[in-house]
Amino acid sequence: MSATIIAPTRAASGSGLSLGRIIHSEWIKLRSLRSTIWSYAIVVLVSLGMSFVLASALSNQDFGPLVDSPEHTLIQASTFGTTFGVLVVAVLGVLVISGEYSTGMARSTFTAVPKRLPALAAKAIVLFVTTFVVGLIATLASAGVALLVLTSNGVEPAITGEFVSSVLLACLYLSLVSVFALAFGTILRSSAGGIAAALGVLLLLPTILMVFASVTQAQWAIDLIPFMLTTAGESMILPAEGGLEIWQSTLTVALWSLIPLAGGALLLKGRDA
Amino acid sequence: MITAQGLVKRYGAKTAVNNISFDIKPGLVTGFLGPNGAGKSTTMRMIVGLDRPTSGSVTVNGRAYADHAAPLREVGALLDAKAVHTGRSAYNHLLAMGATHGIGKARVNEVIGMTGLDSVAGKRVGGFSLGMGQRLGIAAALLGDPATLILDEPVNGLDPDGVLWVRNLVRSLAAEGRTIFLSSHLMSEMALTADHLIVLGRGSIIADAPIAEILAAASGASVTLRSPQAAELASALAKPGVAITATGIDSLTIAGLTAAEVGETAARAGLVLHELLPGSASLEQAYMQLTENDVEYHTLASADMEAAR
Repeated sequence: MSATIIAPTRAASGSGLSLGRIIHSEWIKLRSLRSTIWSYAIVVLVSLGMSFVLASALSNQDFGPLVDSPEHTLIQASTFGTTFGVLVVAVLGVLVISGEYSTGMARSTFTAVPKRLPALAAKAIVLFVTTFVVGLIATLASAGVALLVLTSNGVEPAITGEFVSSVLLACLYLSLVSVFALAFGTILRSSAGGIAAALGVLLLLPTILMVFASVTQAQWAIDLIPFMLTTAGESMILPAEGGLEIWQSTLTVALWSLIPLAGGALLLKGRDA
Repeated sequence: MITAQGLVKRYGAKTAVNNISFDIKPGLVTGFLGPNGAGKSTTMRMIVGLDRPTSGSVTVNGRAYADHAAPLREVGALLDAKAVHTGRSAYNHLLAMGATHGIGKARVNEVIGMTGLDSVAGKRVGGFSLGMGQRLGIAAALLGDPATLILDEPVNGLDPDGVLWVRNLVRSLAAEGRTIFLSSHLMSEMALTADHLIVLGRGSIIADAPIAEILAAASGASVTLRSPQAAELASALAKPGVAITATGIDSLTIAGLTAAEVGETAARAGLVLHELLPGSASLEQAYMQLTENDVEYHTLASADMEAAR
């Protein structure tokens, strides 16, 4: 090598990777795709619509008096959209990573973040926080719609501490489902497979278990029903009589998202990208 | 500096890369050649940690790629022009890539300008032509102003203008003292761009030498001469291992002898020479000779096709 060749020296301190920067990168990625905008818009709009329909139906005096307290009616109407919203954020959660595998973007992502796990963590954090905020916008706007409908029908609910915690728990449920779906996308690396698996757990698994339980009357199957992702999620918002405590339901949903995420992280670290 | 030691990659029973070791030095353009399936892309992917080596190791400037604090500032890689989300704009792709290292809008706009993407930067990548995708891949590789560049088929799909641009870019980056590792199937382009070659065949290194050495070692180097006594010269030069072709009334092409040997033979025989021209083998010829036994996916040669009819 001739003496005139000087290897460039760079990488000054502070110019490298950090979790904060990777989170920023994932935020740019999430906001710059149309699928994100569409998914979140659907979550908000459907929540508003479902809140309007449920509040109208429950408070319509032609159908007789309120079944539940005005306060519970408000909670039900405001968070009703969550049952549909989880399906939308599940699809979005899978796409956040499977879209990278199907387009080849994953290779760029893991070249920039070769340790890989910080990239997955950043995806999970960005998805969780964004979904939580969108959920908050959806449920609070839906609460506004519900309040308008209820008061115009002569029902005047008070805003209680239970309302506040139910709204926050509904948003937490929504966010945890998005992370659960991200984990499935990471494990399966395919949009179709990931969406099918995530929706299968959300929709099909509890149905199958309930049918099985009612046909066989097997006690273990009956006992398992509250621990299904959707049943646990819904009882986070409004716990059923004699069912799991709120913290138990919340823990169940958290485990549904964190265990697959840990599995996905393990696979991601080990295999070729 | 990229250093590979005993690098092995197996996919199940198939060995893609079989115990290769090499050093890729700064200040030079090192070309990476080999037939399809020889293991070039796998090797390049292992350098940046996308594929895990089955055994052996590869380091960039003394450290595994993933262990660098700022990998994109260490190595810029174009491994696959399609490593971009089709739904995102080129600008946002580069912005997101750069954000991981705190590289901001100013540098993103700079590489967009350098690669001539200004007019399409805001468009979604899904609509890009092959050449545009290639330019975006090069832009991404340049983002961190890296000391080492790994480019897998960078000129694939580029127009002649783009090919020339890549050649000049790569030469000037090497002149700045950077390490450039480049693969291409375009031999003429490689001959113009590379200083050093590593040739891979069936996962093993067939040649690792300066390009001039590889050309010199290739048979197919020939000497052309003109002489009024061509016939006499032909019989004077004739011996085993020497092929003489009459290319005209007074001209011969001789393979198997150097120009010096031809001139000395002519002088000893007292024969007149009007022209004596050494010609080296083309890189394509040299490459074909090196890899003829290592081509994974053979096409039928035209003679075989005739026979098959």
